[in-house]
Amino acid sequence: MSVFDGLKFRRVYSPIHNLDPRMKFIYVCAVFVAAILFGEILPLSALFLMQIPFVLLAGVPKEWLRSLRGAAFLATFIFLINIATSFFTSGYVLTAAAIENAAALTLRFIVLVEAFSVFFLTTSPDHLGLALEQSRVPYEFAFAFTTAVRFVPVLAEEANTIMDAQKARGLELEKGNFMKRIRNYIPILIPLIVSAIRRSLELAEAMESRAWGASKKRTNLYSLKLHREDFALLAITVAVLVVAIYVRLYVPVPTLTQLLRL
Amino acid sequence: MAIIETKNLTYTYPGAAKPSINDVSMKVEKGEFVLITGPSGCGKTTLCRCFNGLIPHFYQGEIKGEITVAGMNPTKHHTHEMAKSVGMVFQNPENQLFALSIEKDVAFGLENLGVPREEIRRRVDWALMQTGIYDLRERSPHEVSGGQQQRVAIAAVLAMKPEIIVLDEPTSFLDPLSAEKIFEVIHELNRKLGITVVLVEHRLDLTAKYADHIIIMDEGKVCFDGNPREILSTEETRLIGVGIPKATLLYQLLRKEGIKLSDVTPLSSEELATLLLEALKPQ
Repeated sequence: MSVFDGLKFRRVYSPIHNLDPRMKFIYVCAVFVAAILFGEILPLSALFLMQIPFVLLAGVPKEWLRSLRGAAFLATFIFLINIATSFFTSGYVLTAAAIENAAALTLRFIVLVEAFSVFFLTTSPDHLGLALEQSRVPYEFAFAFTTAVRFVPVLAEEANTIMDAQKARGLELEKGNFMKRIRNYIPILIPLIVSAIRRSLELAEAMESRAWGASKKRTNLYSLKLHREDFALLAITVAVLVVAIYVRLYVPVPTLTQLLRL
Repeated sequence: MAIIETKNLTYTYPGAAKPSINDVSMKVEKGEFVLITGPSGCGKTTLCRCFNGLIPHFYQGEIKGEITVAGMNPTKHHTHEMAKSVGMVFQNPENQLFALSIEKDVAFGLENLGVPREEIRRRVDWALMQTGIYDLRERSPHEVSGGQQQRVAIAAVLAMKPEIIVLDEPTSFLDPLSAEKIFEVIHELNRKLGITVVLVEHRLDLTAKYADHIIIMDEGKVCFDGNPREILSTEETRLIGVGIPKATLLYQLLRKEGIKLSDVTPLSSEELATLLLEALKPQ
């Protein structure tokens, strides 16, 4: 079950959770663009530190750290690849600048992961579905999205039941080499898929019975409205973009190695 | 006037060799509480699917005979048109709730119909109150118990203010206590709001006392149709495999032994207890 825990959204209320998901998304995209604009460690560190107040305000530091830890493997990989490339291309010498460059690129990756994880940690799937609907995404897609999220715990539970049933009949999941272990999961996947299909038929039946597709103009119980906080976030977003573009164009950004040599 | 009426209704699922319901003629009056029962595979569910047009629109297949439900013909009117008059509650509570919060789920049908927001809010709150789950409205459907989920499903059809609610074995996934509560909710809707109820159920012990009228089906046909007290006391009904209420069986055994009891067949333990107390009272 632990695999699915990350997908379960807990209903929490905080200033960040209550922000409009559309605004949050625009903000994340702005951070994304800013991170792509810079390859130097100083501005990237600034971007990294900028997210921390959001995490603290939202009260999700533990979850946030966990998602960073999840990214650690890939981050190490990016760092090593960069070091190795510069090592081999510059004639088997390792310079401080090369290490800094590799660190900067790794930090860029971490900034991207961190920004998105703040977004997903603080946005309920319900809110996200609503944002999709109100951004003129066809209702069918928004519905498919929220239903998928809704059924994650149901299917996880079902997978557990099937696993228990198959184990009771003598299926050994942990036995054999890597390929064999993957093959062991086939007797679990097939019943899971079959039952998911059957479930979807029943779901379709229930939707039909509740007037699915009755009118072209569908209404909604909730509506997203922009509040003062959302405009504040929009201002921050614009500021981030403007500063990032200005600095990129007109201010020479020193690297750490240059700074230290001075 | 009958709110549901079928005449010689016969339906075959696509690819099936023989019809699932065969020559069914039945009638339900407005405001009645009707119980449909019979062994598994006797065509109860198929009949229910005809009431709101899932048959033939969703399932296709071949339908013959006449059917009128709430003044409409389900073979011509689409399921979403029927949905305004006929609410359908299914067996598995998990597979009929799709939203991430209970109130959103209850609002689903109204949203589809394009009802204005304020009206949706009012009707959702009303339906949640009627089914006694108002306090759960912000929870997620998968977090609450099966009985509560089934109440959400009932609230969801109730919010659309249907004339008829059809419930297809709504308690088969529930424990006896939750089942009893569900039946009480359904009975209230019937009694207080005058909604016509068609309930498909095996648990006659808990439901027979509410029924105005009972229909017993077997092998796609209607075998008995009428007053539950008369029908449940016949030997044929028992032989079909209908779960006759224990109180009724006990009453029959006692009568056979020659114990003098009133002629009104009891359908619940309470009724039987009253009869026995009467009989035991020293003259």
